[in-house]
Amino acid sequence: MKSEPYKRKPGDFEIRILNDGKVVMIAPDETLIEVAHAVEPSKNIMPSKKGDKKECRKSNQRNRVKN
Amino acid sequence: MNDMDYQVHREAFERAKLAREALTNCNLCPHQCNIDRTAGEKGYCGLDDTVRCFREMLYYGEESELVPSHQIHFAGCNLRCEFCVVAEWNELPSVAKEIDFDDMAKTIARRQSEGARTLNFLGGEPAVNLHGILQLLGRVESKIKVVWNSNMYYNDIVDKLTMGLIDVYLADFKCGNNSCAEGLLGASNYMEIVKENILKAAGHADVIIRHVVMPGHSKCCLKPILEWLAEKMPKVKLSLRSNYVPPVKAISAPKEYLKQEDMQNVVDLAKSMGLKLTK
Repeated sequence: MKSEPYKRKPGDFEIRILNDGKVVMIAPDETLIEVAHAVEPSKNIMPSKKGDKKECRKSNQRNRVKN
Repeated sequence: MNDMDYQVHREAFERAKLAREALTNCNLCPHQCNIDRTAGEKGYCGLDDTVRCFREMLYYGEESELVPSHQIHFAGCNLRCEFCVVAEWNELPSVAKEIDFDDMAKTIARRQSEGARTLNFLGGEPAVNLHGILQLLGRVESKIKVVWNSNMYYNDIVDKLTMGLIDVYLADFKCGNNSCAEGLLGASNYMEIVKENILKAAGHADVIIRHVVMPGHSKCCLKPILEWLAEKMPKVKLSLRSNYVPPVKAISAPKEYLKQEDMQNVVDLAKSMGLKLTK
């Protein structure tokens, strides 16, 4: 593992696993949100591409910050 | 297309021409690069006159009254926030794909059919992509609210050319003093400019003030913002966000995540000042 922090390039995903076990997704795009839903569907709602309602993990949406 | 739509489209195209003219000696934002972006020169934002989009999606993480929101992320920004989570696109906007306006107009229509309640222009920063956004507005039907999701750090021309075409200004009020703004965002005279633009926007559209609470910046940033809002815009919708993400290599920016108890204190403070919180 490199000692320097990784610098994202355009198109890279970044997921952080914090000490307390929380998973933080940085600026998730649609694909990443769908992946998160597949990993742990729970409380929040997101639609599928067809417009149906699905559940989505709350933390995925909470941890997105605009510049 | 009805008469109202036609007028909106024509107005947007006319304004797009004016915005493009402004690029020939670009002073859309306070950096006032005074370069000719139409001749291929690139300003502080890293942009010439090409309009680039790095992401479009239906998103549920915006304020509840806006979701589902069709986000269109434009590459390039006039701030250099140390904690920016899409910095890779703003440092190198030229790698993002150039927008095909007709295709994007079709995408906007599709997203509306998928349930989008708002059309959300963000970035990067929409202000430095003003000419492109106006061109886009000239191509789409105004069935849903249009959101200007901005850092509000721009010159008067941006307010003038967006007035009447934007329904909601989602104003990201990041810092509460010029020293923090200089160090964290790379912005001079930040407070004066952002406050003025927020007040102008409130004069002709809905405004939601968003503030991402930064650990350790309660007294210097959060409190002055809340106090100013309580005095000048006591009825404005305020969205306090707890989703600060520390950069992996923080220099001036906070290195930690916000604690849940700290966020509760922030919410209590805002409520004690009579501010109207929105989620």
